[in-house]
Amino acid sequence: MRRREFLTMAGAAAVTSFSIPRATAQVANWPERPVRCIIPYAPGGGSDLIGRPWAEALSQTFGQQFVVENRGGAGGMIGTEAVAKAPPDGYTLLATPGATLTVLPHLRKAPYDATKFVPCGRTGDFVTGFSINAQVGPKTFAEMLDYAKKNPGKLSYGSAGLATATHLRLEMLKFKAGIDILHVPYRGSADALNDLLPNNVQMMNEINNIPHVKAGKLHLLNINDTQRHWDFPDIPTLTELGYPDSDVPIWYSIQGPPGMPQEIAEKLNAAMVKLAQTDDMKSKLRAVSASLPVQSTKQVAEFFAADSQRNADLIKAAKVKLE
Amino acid sequence: MALDGLLANLALGLSVAATMQNLMWCLMGAVIGTAVGVLPGVGPVATMALLLPVTYVLPADGALIMLAGIYYGAQYGGSTTAILVNLPGESSSVVTTLDGYQMARQGRAGPALAIAAIGSFFAGCVATILIAAAAPPLTRLAQQFAPADYFSLMVLGLVFSIVLARGSIIKAFGMVFLGMLLGLVGTDVNTGNLRFTFGISDLFDGLGFVPLAMGIFGIAEIIANLTNPERRDLVSSKVSNLWPSREDFRRSRGPILRGTILGSVLGLLPGGGAVLGSFSAYTLEKKVSKTPEKFGTGMIEGVAGPESANNAAAQTSFIPMLTLGIPSNAVMAMMIGGMMIHGIIPGPQVMEQRPGLFWGMIVSMWFGNLMLIILNLPMIGLWVRLLLVPYRLLAIAVLFFCCIGVYSLNNSANEVLFIAGFGLLGYLLIKLDCEPAPLLLGFILGPMMEVYMRRAMLLSRGDPWVFFQRPLSFAFLVLAGILLLLVVLPAIRKGRETAFQE
Repeated sequence: MRRREFLTMAGAAAVTSFSIPRATAQVANWPERPVRCIIPYAPGGGSDLIGRPWAEALSQTFGQQFVVENRGGAGGMIGTEAVAKAPPDGYTLLATPGATLTVLPHLRKAPYDATKFVPCGRTGDFVTGFSINAQVGPKTFAEMLDYAKKNPGKLSYGSAGLATATHLRLEMLKFKAGIDILHVPYRGSADALNDLLPNNVQMMNEINNIPHVKAGKLHLLNINDTQRHWDFPDIPTLTELGYPDSDVPIWYSIQGPPGMPQEIAEKLNAAMVKLAQTDDMKSKLRAVSASLPVQSTKQVAEFFAADSQRNADLIKAAKVKLE
Repeated sequence: MALDGLLANLALGLSVAATMQNLMWCLMGAVIGTAVGVLPGVGPVATMALLLPVTYVLPADGALIMLAGIYYGAQYGGSTTAILVNLPGESSSVVTTLDGYQMARQGRAGPALAIAAIGSFFAGCVATILIAAAAPPLTRLAQQFAPADYFSLMVLGLVFSIVLARGSIIKAFGMVFLGMLLGLVGTDVNTGNLRFTFGISDLFDGLGFVPLAMGIFGIAEIIANLTNPERRDLVSSKVSNLWPSREDFRRSRGPILRGTILGSVLGLLPGGGAVLGSFSAYTLEKKVSKTPEKFGTGMIEGVAGPESANNAAAQTSFIPMLTLGIPSNAVMAMMIGGMMIHGIIPGPQVMEQRPGLFWGMIVSMWFGNLMLIILNLPMIGLWVRLLLVPYRLLAIAVLFFCCIGVYSLNNSANEVLFIAGFGLLGYLLIKLDCEPAPLLLGFILGPMMEVYMRRAMLLSRGDPWVFFQRPLSFAFLVLAGILLLLVVLPAIRKGRETAFQE
């Protein structure tokens, strides 16, 4: 008996003494092989537009391929769950919009714990605002409010789906401005745009509206960001319009699976901070109407928590339910 | 219609399609399609599914040109085996076996094959022009479509698939509804509730179309073939005298023309496509013939009509897909998948936003048809030899490719298990004499119908009259009602049954 115990212990000790330096070495040498970046949406969407330039740039920086893998479906839950269950060795990462982690878990039961992901860095914020079909009439935010108040429930709004950032944006508008607008969920923003252009729905809040705003088919009513849009210097932000604390960007980030060593997150963050300051990256993101905030992992974690709390408060106050 | 605009568009398409690279993709699609058409059990749907992940590395126009080539290439290839060995490589070639095989047994395989190829080529050219001319106005119409109109159009499509199914109507109804039920699996768009997922996260986004189609069509077909003793009485007499006589040409002219027109129109309808085109053309030829009793004994009209029709329909069925984003059949659903992979959302905006891609694809169809006729006539001997591959080897190869294909779509092992399950279901359906095509259409259209219906109801604030107030929607519903009535009326049902027994 004693001998066996000893052997077990010795074995365990051998394993531990062996594995610790190995693990450290693995972390220090990361990445030694290709890294999978899972985007929890179908190809061609906003996550792709932001995620792919990053994967390309990171591949060049680290000399290892950062392979983009689209695993779409169920409002981002499928891909996010896949990363949550992946080994936390830094070779599977999540490139996601904030909503799957800071909106969705407040509205439905998610098969993952959003607070356990390891934030690595922000990849970009989409800068856009509410837009309205030109056939409706209102051209400014105030005119839209006026119209909505005179015709309660007449306007409808297409979102990219339930529990997405743009869905919550409408709920915020309805709650803070006290107006009634019908929410129509679509499967992705492209699908919604198909109904917005022939005026089947009247409003949206997505970056794919921007080209049609420029073509004059839609009016952009505001910008939901702390700063005005470089292409639309005359369009005010929500704060300027009298709705403080409403200028929340549609933000994207890279997150590691729960339990991933912090060292890997820091290493990735350092590279991302450097890349974010290059003109190449700035112009690539600007082309898709995205701005590029530079933050440390700690700042990302704080921003994440604040965003989640703000969304939870809004959902509670506005009594948002999925029904 | 401004002819200048059409010509300008075609010129733009020509500049895209005639690049060396795209010509190569076109040729590749045509070759693969012909091979797939020749091989029974491997249809264009499974092949396109298999190649879908491969197209990721191609440019969008090249990928779509190749995928399209596979589809109309399969229409050519399918007729080859139908005529030579009485094995329809494609369901749309089923009627071609009736007279084509008889012609081959009389030593007239050459003229039969040649007329099939020439008819297909003619139909392909006409359909290409038709797509080019009709797509812009149809697209403008499509942009007027509201959710209610889409819903009613899909109802019409489903009714069509019931009308066109072979055998019992009750069974066809059952298949459509079973397909719709399977389509309900996954996340509800309007409430976010999970339906029939049993906690399996692979099901959160619904059952995959590819595992379902591969299982029910591919795997089930293999099982069924293996349970039958091999039947491969290759025509022993040599395929001599390739070229049809002047008399053959004279007799084929009418059927080719009629088949092309009929096929082009039927291809436009959702739920229609090549199968519908070939069946109707055969029936039509029999109706207009002075000697209908001779059909089935080797009449060249019975080859020329259906073969032209299926190719015309195969091509015009691109119109609803390209202009509305609605898949009229499983192959078009695959094309939509191919577009999505490249970040193109099918719908009315494709033509405006990606004119090069749109017109390039259309012009490539003409090139593809030209390549196919050059490819098919001299290579008939080779295709026949492909059939000599023993089935025990062919079956394993097909199974192998199916598994790899499904796995590579989502990197999900569960989906490979799904094809096994659907394979068994498909075999059961074959044994029960239930046609799986309506099931597949129900599966595709069912969830879309649900989404459009609920969206229409949401936008109308819960008023169901929206489906009758909009003229387009109303017209579709009335048509669907009439069709349904026709099928149920005993006199017509009898006619339909005899038509399909032929």
